Amino acid sequence: MANTVIGSSIVIDGEISGDEDLVIQGTVKGKISLKESLYVENSGVVEADIDTQNVEIAGRVTGNILASDKVELKTDCRVVGDIKAPRILIADGASFKGNVDMDTKER
Amino acid sequence: MASDNTVIGESILISGKLTGDEDLTVRGRVEGEVSLTKTLIVEASGVVRANVEVKNAIVSGVVVGNITATESVELTKDGRMVGDIRSPRVIIVDGASFRGRVDMGDLEPNRERSERPAARPLMRPTVRTSSAPPRPPVAAVAAKAPAAKPVPPPQPSRVESRVDARPPSPPKPAAAARPAPPPPPAPPAMAEAGKKKVLVKKKR
Repeated sequence: MANTVIGSSIVIDGEISGDEDLVIQGTVKGKISLKESLYVENSGVVEADIDTQNVEIAGRVTGNILASDKVELKTDCRVVGDIKAPRILIADGASFKGNVDMDTKER
Repeated sequence: MASDNTVIGESILISGKLTGDEDLTVRGRVEGEVSLTKTLIVEASGVVRANVEVKNAIVSGVVVGNITATESVELTKDGRMVGDIRSPRVIIVDGASFRGRVDMGDLEPNRERSERPAARPLMRPTVRTSSAPPRPPVAAVAAKAPAAKPVPPPQPSRVESRVDARPPSPPKPAAAARPAPPPPPAPPAMAEAGKKKVLVKKKR
Protein backbone atom coordinates (compact mmCIF):
# COMPACT_ATOMS: atom_id res chain seq x y z
CA MET A 1 0.00 0.00 0.00
CA ALA A 2 1.17 3.44 -0.82
CA ASN A 3 2.33 5.50 2.09
CA THR A 4 0.95 8.81 0.93
CA VAL A 5 -2.77 9.25 1.29
CA ILE A 6 -4.78 12.42 0.77
CA GLY A 7 -7.83 11.81 2.97
CA SER A 8 -11.40 12.45 1.94
CA SER A 9 -11.81 15.76 3.76
CA ILE A 10 -8.55 17.22 2.49
CA VAL A 11 -8.40 19.86 -0.22
CA ILE A 12 -5.09 20.69 -1.83
CA ASP A 13 -4.78 23.62 -4.16
CA GLY A 14 -1.35 23.61 -5.69
CA GLU A 15 1.27 21.21 -6.83
CA ILE A 16 2.14 17.70 -5.69
CA SER A 17 5.31 15.99 -6.75
CA GLY A 18 7.13 12.94 -5.53
CA ASP A 19 8.73 9.55 -6.09
CA GLU A 20 6.18 7.33 -4.45
CA ASP A 21 2.63 6.10 -4.82
CA LEU A 22 -0.12 8.55 -4.04
CA VAL A 23 -3.69 7.73 -3.08
CA ILE A 24 -6.26 10.48 -3.40
CA GLN A 25 -9.53 10.24 -1.52
CA GLY A 26 -9.99 13.99 -1.22
CA THR A 27 -9.69 16.89 -3.62
CA VAL A 28 -6.62 18.06 -5.47
CA LYS A 29 -6.53 21.05 -7.78
CA GLY A 30 -3.44 22.12 -9.68
CA LYS A 31 -0.82 19.71 -10.85
CA ILE A 32 0.37 16.24 -9.90
CA SER A 33 3.67 14.78 -11.02
CA LEU A 34 4.91 11.46 -9.69
CA LYS A 35 7.42 8.83 -10.69
CA GLU A 36 5.15 6.07 -9.42
CA SER A 37 1.43 5.35 -9.38
CA LEU A 38 -1.50 7.60 -8.72
CA TYR A 39 -4.73 6.14 -7.38
CA VAL A 40 -7.82 8.29 -7.44
CA GLU A 41 -10.35 6.49 -5.28
CA ASN A 42 -14.15 6.69 -5.42
CA SER A 43 -14.34 9.76 -3.24
CA GLY A 44 -11.38 11.43 -4.93
CA VAL A 45 -11.76 14.53 -7.06
CA VAL A 46 -8.84 15.74 -9.13
CA GLU A 47 -8.84 18.90 -11.17
CA ALA A 48 -5.28 18.81 -12.30
CA ASP A 49 -2.87 17.88 -15.00
CA ILE A 50 -1.32 14.56 -14.14
CA ASP A 51 2.11 13.31 -15.09
CA THR A 52 2.96 9.89 -13.67
CA GLN A 53 3.95 6.36 -14.50
CA ASN A 54 0.62 4.69 -13.74
CA VAL A 55 -2.81 6.10 -13.02
CA GLU A 56 -5.82 4.23 -11.70
CA ILE A 57 -8.99 6.24 -11.56
CA ALA A 58 -12.17 5.28 -9.75
CA GLY A 59 -13.21 8.82 -8.88
CA ARG A 60 -13.45 12.03 -10.85
CA VAL A 61 -10.65 13.60 -12.83
CA THR A 62 -10.72 16.76 -14.89
CA GLY A 63 -7.45 17.49 -16.64
CA ASN A 64 -4.93 16.02 -18.98
CA ILE A 65 -3.24 12.77 -18.08
CA LEU A 66 0.21 11.85 -19.23
CA ALA A 67 1.45 8.44 -18.13
CA SER A 68 4.68 6.70 -19.03
CA ASP A 69 3.15 3.27 -18.54
CA LYS A 70 -0.56 2.83 -18.04
CA VAL A 71 -3.84 4.62 -17.43
CA GLU A 72 -6.77 2.65 -16.09
CA LEU A 73 -10.28 4.07 -15.95
CA LYS A 74 -12.36 1.94 -13.62
CA THR A 75 -16.07 1.41 -13.39
CA ASP A 76 -17.91 4.49 -12.09
CA CYS A 77 -15.07 6.87 -12.77
CA ARG A 78 -15.68 10.17 -14.56
CA VAL A 79 -12.84 11.57 -16.54
CA VAL A 80 -12.73 14.67 -18.70
CA GLY A 81 -9.46 15.48 -20.48
CA ASP A 82 -6.90 14.06 -22.81
CA ILE A 83 -5.05 10.87 -22.03
CA LYS A 84 -1.67 10.03 -23.40
CA ALA A 85 -0.08 6.72 -22.45
CA PRO A 86 1.20 3.56 -24.14
CA ARG A 87 -1.47 1.48 -22.36
CA ILE A 88 -4.96 2.73 -21.70
CA LEU A 89 -7.70 0.61 -20.16
CA ILE A 90 -11.28 1.76 -19.98
CA ALA A 91 -13.60 -0.49 -18.01
CA ASP A 92 -17.27 -1.04 -18.66
CA GLY A 93 -19.23 1.66 -16.82
CA ALA A 94 -16.50 4.27 -16.92
CA SER A 95 -17.40 7.66 -18.30
CA PHE A 96 -14.79 9.50 -20.29
CA LYS A 97 -14.64 12.51 -22.55
CA GLY A 98 -11.45 13.53 -24.31
CA ASN A 99 -8.75 12.37 -26.63
CA VAL A 100 -6.79 9.18 -26.29
CA ASP A 101 -3.25 8.92 -27.57
CA MET A 102 -1.46 5.58 -27.34
CA ASP A 103 1.43 6.58 -29.53
CA THR A 104 4.34 4.79 -27.88
CA LYS A 105 7.10 6.30 -29.96
CA GLU A 106 7.31 9.54 -28.04
CA ARG A 107 7.60 8.03 -24.63
CA MET B 1 -6.98 3.96 10.13
CA ALA B 2 -5.07 4.58 6.96
CA SER B 3 -8.23 5.27 5.02
CA ASP B 4 -9.32 7.98 7.44
CA ASN B 5 -5.97 9.62 7.85
CA THR B 6 -3.93 11.70 5.49
CA VAL B 7 -0.26 10.97 5.20
CA ILE B 8 2.22 12.87 3.07
CA GLY B 9 5.01 10.39 2.36
CA GLU B 10 8.71 11.12 2.57
CA SER B 11 9.34 11.72 -1.11
CA ILE B 12 6.27 13.86 -1.65
CA LEU B 13 6.38 17.61 -2.11
CA ILE B 14 3.18 19.59 -1.96
CA SER B 15 3.31 23.25 -2.76
CA GLY B 16 0.20 25.32 -2.53
CA LYS B 17 -2.76 25.42 -0.23
CA LEU B 18 -3.88 22.47 1.81
CA THR B 19 -7.12 22.45 3.75
CA GLY B 20 -9.07 19.74 5.49
CA ASP B 21 -11.12 18.41 8.39
CA GLU B 22 -8.97 15.49 9.42
CA ASP B 23 -5.59 14.71 10.92
CA LEU B 24 -2.63 15.21 8.64
CA THR B 25 0.72 13.50 9.04
CA VAL B 26 3.61 15.01 7.15
CA ARG B 27 6.71 12.90 6.46
CA GLY B 28 7.62 14.73 3.29
CA ARG B 29 7.52 18.41 2.42
CA VAL B 30 4.65 20.84 2.40
CA GLU B 31 5.09 24.43 1.25
CA GLY B 32 2.51 27.18 1.18
CA GLU B 33 -0.44 27.15 3.48
CA VAL B 34 -1.99 24.49 5.70
CA SER B 35 -5.33 24.83 7.44
CA LEU B 36 -7.00 21.98 9.24
CA THR B 37 -9.76 21.65 11.80
CA LYS B 38 -7.84 18.82 13.44
CA THR B 39 -4.26 17.87 14.18
CA LEU B 40 -1.15 18.43 12.13
CA ILE B 41 1.65 16.01 12.90
CA VAL B 42 5.04 16.80 11.43
CA GLU B 43 7.15 13.70 11.81
CA ALA B 44 10.92 13.66 12.11
CA SER B 45 11.42 13.46 8.36
CA GLY B 46 8.78 16.08 7.66
CA VAL B 47 9.46 19.63 6.55
CA VAL B 48 6.74 22.24 6.55
CA ARG B 49 7.45 25.67 5.14
CA ALA B 50 4.05 27.16 5.48
CA ASN B 51 1.71 29.23 7.51
CA VAL B 52 -0.26 26.74 9.51
CA GLU B 53 -3.72 27.07 11.00
CA VAL B 54 -4.85 24.03 12.93
CA LYS B 55 -6.46 22.86 16.14
CA ASN B 56 -3.39 21.00 17.39
CA ALA B 57 0.12 20.80 16.03
CA ILE B 58 2.77 18.29 17.04
CA VAL B 59 6.15 19.05 15.57
CA SER B 60 8.90 16.44 15.53
CA GLY B 61 10.36 17.60 12.25
CA VAL B 62 11.02 21.03 10.84
CA VAL B 63 8.57 23.88 10.59
CA VAL B 64 9.45 27.23 9.09
CA GLY B 65 6.48 29.55 9.27
CA ASN B 66 3.87 30.67 11.70
CA ILE B 67 1.57 28.31 13.51
CA THR B 68 -1.81 29.38 14.78
CA ALA B 69 -3.51 26.69 16.81
CA THR B 70 -6.87 26.91 18.53
CA GLU B 71 -5.84 24.35 21.12
CA SER B 72 -2.17 23.44 21.42
CA VAL B 73 1.23 23.40 19.81
CA GLU B 74 3.83 20.89 20.92
CA LEU B 75 7.47 20.86 19.92
CA THR B 76 8.86 17.45 20.74
CA LYS B 77 12.51 16.74 21.49
CA ASP B 78 13.30 16.36 17.79
CA GLY B 79 11.23 19.33 16.72
CA ARG B 80 12.82 22.35 15.13
CA MET B 81 10.90 25.45 14.36
CA VAL B 82 11.45 29.00 13.19
CA GLY B 83 8.38 31.20 13.28
CA ASP B 84 5.74 32.51 15.57
CA ILE B 85 3.34 30.42 17.58
CA ARG B 86 -0.12 31.55 18.59
CA SER B 87 -1.92 29.08 20.74
CA PRO B 88 -3.48 28.93 24.22
CA ARG B 89 -1.25 25.96 25.05
CA VAL B 90 2.35 25.79 23.93
CA ILE B 91 4.54 22.89 24.93
CA ILE B 92 8.25 22.97 24.21
CA VAL B 93 10.14 20.01 25.57
CA ASP B 94 13.80 19.57 26.34
CA GLY B 95 15.77 19.11 23.12
CA ALA B 96 13.43 21.05 20.88
CA SER B 97 14.83 24.04 19.07
CA PHE B 98 12.73 27.09 18.44
CA ARG B 99 13.20 30.66 17.34
CA GLY B 100 10.28 33.01 17.23
CA ARG B 101 7.54 34.51 19.28
CA VAL B 102 5.01 32.77 21.40
CA ASP B 103 1.60 34.24 22.00
CA MET B 104 -0.64 32.33 24.35
CA GLY B 105 -3.29 35.01 24.00
CA ASP B 106 -4.71 37.31 26.61
CA LEU B 107 -8.23 37.52 25.27
CA GLU B 108 -11.16 35.71 26.80
CA PRO B 109 -9.78 35.46 30.33
CA ASN B 110 -12.82 33.48 31.49
CA ARG B 111 -12.14 30.75 29.03
CA GLU B 112 -8.46 30.58 29.80
CA ARG B 113 -8.95 30.31 33.52
CA SER B 114 -11.04 27.22 33.04
CA GLU B 115 -8.72 25.72 30.43
CA ARG B 116 -5.35 26.30 31.95
CA PRO B 117 -5.64 24.59 35.28
CA ALA B 118 -6.81 21.52 33.43
CA ALA B 119 -3.95 21.73 30.99
CA ARG B 120 -1.07 22.32 33.38
CA PRO B 121 -1.15 19.18 35.47
CA LEU B 122 -0.76 17.20 32.25
CA MET B 123 2.39 19.07 31.34
CA ARG B 124 4.07 19.25 34.70
CA PRO B 125 5.24 15.69 35.06
CA THR B 126 7.42 15.97 31.95
CA VAL B 127 8.82 19.25 33.19
CA ARG B 128 9.71 17.87 36.58
CA THR B 129 11.38 14.74 35.37
CA SER B 130 13.38 16.57 32.74
CA SER B 131 14.91 19.38 34.73
CA ALA B 132 13.57 20.50 38.08
CA PRO B 133 13.34 18.04 40.98
CA PRO B 134 12.93 20.67 43.73
CA ARG B 135 9.75 22.06 42.22
CA PRO B 136 6.97 20.11 43.89
CA PRO B 137 6.26 22.81 46.54
CA VAL B 138 5.79 25.43 43.84
CA ALA B 139 3.62 23.04 41.90
CA ALA B 140 1.47 22.51 44.97
CA VAL B 141 0.94 26.24 45.30
CA ALA B 142 0.20 26.43 41.62
CA ALA B 143 -2.42 23.75 41.95
CA LYS B 144 -4.22 25.70 44.67
CA ALA B 145 -3.88 29.00 42.86
CA PRO B 146 -6.58 28.55 40.21
CA ALA B 147 -9.23 28.25 42.92
CA ALA B 148 -8.55 31.81 44.03
CA LYS B 149 -8.04 33.54 40.65
CA PRO B 150 -8.74 37.13 41.69
CA VAL B 151 -6.62 38.92 39.09
CA PRO B 152 -6.40 37.00 35.84
CA PRO B 153 -5.09 39.67 33.40
CA PRO B 154 -1.47 39.66 34.57
CA GLN B 155 -1.25 35.96 33.97
CA PRO B 156 -1.09 35.91 30.16
CA SER B 157 1.30 38.83 29.95
CA ARG B 158 3.73 37.17 32.29
CA VAL B 159 3.56 34.02 30.31
CA GLU B 160 4.42 35.95 27.22
CA SER B 161 7.35 37.79 28.66
CA ARG B 162 8.81 34.69 30.14
CA VAL B 163 8.28 32.68 27.05
CA ASP B 164 9.91 35.33 24.95
CA ALA B 165 12.99 34.90 27.03
CA ARG B 166 13.24 31.25 26.09
CA PRO B 167 15.10 31.09 22.79
CA PRO B 168 18.69 31.38 24.06
CA SER B 169 18.39 28.12 26.01
CA PRO B 170 14.99 26.55 25.42
CA PRO B 171 14.82 23.65 27.90
CA LYS B 172 15.42 25.29 31.28
CA PRO B 173 13.49 28.53 30.81
CA ALA B 174 10.63 26.47 29.46
CA ALA B 175 10.58 24.56 32.71
CA ALA B 176 10.68 27.76 34.70
CA ALA B 177 7.95 29.42 32.70
CA ARG B 178 5.25 26.88 33.35
CA PRO B 179 5.09 26.57 37.10
CA ALA B 180 5.75 30.28 37.57
CA PRO B 181 2.72 31.93 35.92
CA PRO B 182 0.03 30.58 38.27
CA PRO B 183 1.23 32.42 41.40
CA PRO B 184 0.04 35.91 40.37
CA PRO B 185 -3.65 35.00 40.73
CA ALA B 186 -3.09 34.13 44.38
CA PRO B 187 -0.64 36.58 45.95
CA PRO B 188 -1.78 35.84 49.54
CA ALA B 189 -1.09 32.13 49.18
CA MET B 190 2.35 32.82 47.80
CA ALA B 191 3.15 35.26 50.57
CA GLU B 192 2.19 32.71 53.22
CA ALA B 193 4.18 30.06 51.49
CA GLY B 194 7.14 32.39 51.37
CA LYS B 195 6.92 33.18 55.07
CA LYS B 196 6.62 29.55 56.01
CA LYS B 197 9.67 28.69 54.00
CA VAL B 198 11.68 31.47 55.61
CA LEU B 199 10.63 30.41 59.09
CA VAL B 200 11.60 26.84 58.44
CA LYS B 201 14.98 27.91 57.27
CA LYS B 202 15.55 30.04 60.36
CA LYS B 203 14.68 27.18 62.67
CA ARG B 204 17.10 24.94 60.93
